[in-house]
Amino acid sequence: MADTATRPRLATESLPVRIFLIGVTLIFLALFLGLPLASVFAEAFASGRGPYFEALKDPYTISAIKLTLLTAAVSVPLNVLFGLAAAWAIAKFDFWGKNLLLTLIDLPFAVSPVIAGMIFVLLLGKFSPLGGWLDAHQIKIIFAVPGIILATTFVTFPFVARELLPVMQAQGVEEEQAALVLGATGWQSFWRVTLPNIKWGLLYGVILCNARAMGEFGAVSVVSGKILGQTNTLPLQVEALNDDYNFVGAFAAASLLAMLGLVTLVIKSFVEWRTARNE
Amino acid sequence: MSIEIRGVSRNFGEFAALKDVSLLVETGELVALLGPSGSGKTTLLRIIAGLEYPTAGTILFHGEDAIRRDARSRQVGFVFQHYALFRHMTVFENIAFGLRVRPRALRPTKADIEARVMELLKLVQLEGLAQRFPSQLSGGQRQRVALARALAVEPKVLLLDEPFGALDARVRQELRSWLRRLHDELHITSVFVTHDQEEALEVADRVVVMNKGQIEQVGSPEDVYENPANPFVMNFLGSVNLFHARVHDGEAHIGPSTAPVTTAQDAATIGYVRPHELDILRSRNGGPTLEAVIKHIHAIGPTVRVELARRDNGELMEAELTRERFTELALKNGEQVHVKARKLQVFTEDYSI
Repeated sequence: MADTATRPRLATESLPVRIFLIGVTLIFLALFLGLPLASVFAEAFASGRGPYFEALKDPYTISAIKLTLLTAAVSVPLNVLFGLAAAWAIAKFDFWGKNLLLTLIDLPFAVSPVIAGMIFVLLLGKFSPLGGWLDAHQIKIIFAVPGIILATTFVTFPFVARELLPVMQAQGVEEEQAALVLGATGWQSFWRVTLPNIKWGLLYGVILCNARAMGEFGAVSVVSGKILGQTNTLPLQVEALNDDYNFVGAFAAASLLAMLGLVTLVIKSFVEWRTARNE
Repeated sequence: MSIEIRGVSRNFGEFAALKDVSLLVETGELVALLGPSGSGKTTLLRIIAGLEYPTAGTILFHGEDAIRRDARSRQVGFVFQHYALFRHMTVFENIAFGLRVRPRALRPTKADIEARVMELLKLVQLEGLAQRFPSQLSGGQRQRVALARALAVEPKVLLLDEPFGALDARVRQELRSWLRRLHDELHITSVFVTHDQEEALEVADRVVVMNKGQIEQVGSPEDVYENPANPFVMNFLGSVNLFHARVHDGEAHIGPSTAPVTTAQDAATIGYVRPHELDILRSRNGGPTLEAVIKHIHAIGPTVRVELARRDNGELMEAELTRERFTELALKNGEQVHVKARKLQVFTEDYSI
C-alpha cells in the first residue's frame, strides 16, 4: 500500500475532513465496542481479584467451560471436514445442483439460531417419530450434549466453507490438473498442492468458526435444557449467573468469552497479515 | 511414441467443439495445432492429455488405446498456457514434484532426484534459480520452469498449450527458436497449440490448421503456406488480396489477368494473391496487368507495403515490395501504376470466409 508521503496530494482529503472522519469512527468504536468490553472486565473485577478467581472456580462454571471446549473440539473439526469437502466440490467441479448446495451452505446464516434450535427439537424431540425411536433406544440427543454439539455444528457450518470458497475459486483447477498429469493421485494432489495453497484461508475459517462455536447462545439455549453442571455451556452459564444476581460470577464467565474474542482477533490479524504478505 | 487421433468428437452441451477429427502424429515429430480461438485446438490437446474426454472417437498412443488410461498414467508432459506452477513451492520443488509423487517402488532416491532436477535446470538455462519461488520469476523463466517440470517425468509425449501466448514479443521470439533447438536435441513427440501462424510456421515440422472443430489442412509449413487447401487456410496463414473474378472456359479472369481452374462451369469466383506476390510496374511491358493508383505507402522495416486502388472498380489491394524494388521504382502517393500478380490462387469449391 502506498504511504502518505508517496500518495498524490489530489487523492487525499483535507486535514479537517480527515480528522472528522477518523474522529467519528473512533468515537463510535469507543462507545459501542470499547466501553462494553471494558465494563465486562470492570464488573468482573468489581470486588477485586480474589472473588473473580473464586467465581471461576465455581463447579458449575468449570463444568460449563469444559462443555464449551468439548463442543468446539467436536464441531470445529467436523466443520473443517464439511467445509473443505463442500468448497472443494464447488470450486473445482461442475455438477448439477451446485447453486442449491451454495444456498444450503448459507442457510445457517439466514436462519435465526433460535429457529435452528427449534428445528432440532421438533425433529429429534420426544414427540417426533424420530425422537420417539431414539427415546425407545435410550439415545438422548435433545437436552443433552449431542444436541448441543449438533446445534453448534449447524450454526457454525458456513464459516469454513465460506472462507475457503473464494480462495479456491480464485486459484482455479490448473495446479491440480498439472499435479494430475505429473502422476499425482487425488490424495497427493490435495495434500501437496491444494492444502498448502489454502492453509491461511482455512486457518482463518477455523478461527472464526471456533469463536462462534464457543460463543453460540440462541440455538444452544433451545436444545440444551440448561441443566446446571450438565448441559450449560459458557454463554448459557453467563445468563444463569446473571439471572441469579451473581454479577461477579456472570461477568467473570463473560470475561473468559471476551478474552476468547480478543485472542481470536489477534490471531485473525496475524493470519490476515501473513496472507497479504504471501500474495 | 506416435499419437493417433481417430474420429474424435467433443460436444459441450449443444456446442460441437470437435467434429470427427482424425490425425496421426509420428514419433519424434513437432506438430503445431493452428487455428483461431474456438477452433477446438486446445480441446484436442486436452483430450490427448486425458484432461478432457471425447464424446466419440479414440486416441491411440503407439497403437494402444489411451482413452481408458487417465491423465495420471498416460505419461504425457503438459505445459499449461499460464504455466500452472505450484506457487507455494520453489523452482526446485516444482520440477521435482513429478518424481516425488511416484509410488515408493518407482521413486528415485533423494540424490537421484536432486541430480535430475539440476540437469533439467541446466537444460532450461535456469541454474542458480532453484530456490526461487514462481512469483519471483519473469514470464519467460516461468515458462521454462513449466517445461522442465513437464520433462522431469520423462514423458513419451510433450503437449504445450499456447506456450508463448503470455509473453512479450522479444521473449517469444527467443523461446521459439530455443524450443525448436530443444526438440532437435530431445526428439520427443510434441504437439503445441497456437493461434499465431508465424509461430506455427517457424517452429513446427508439420502444421495442422483447424477451424470450427475440424481440420482444414495438414502439411509442412511450406506446403500449407504455398498450397493452401482452401480460402480459410490461405487467409489464416497471412494477409491476402481478394479479387472478384469470372470463370470462363476453364480460366478465371480478373481484369486482364487469367489463371487456369479445374472447373468448367462458368461462374463468379474469387482469386487470392498474397501481397508479396503482387508486383508493381511502371509500364505494362506487354503482359496482362491491372491499372491502379497508389493510395498509401508504409515504408518501415525491410519490406515496403503499398496500398493501391484499382482503376476500374476502386477495390483496394496491398502489395509488399522489397526495399530495393521500392527504391528502384521511386513510387509516390497518387501515382498511377500497373500491378501484376506473380501467383494467383483460385478455389473453385464453394467456400465463404
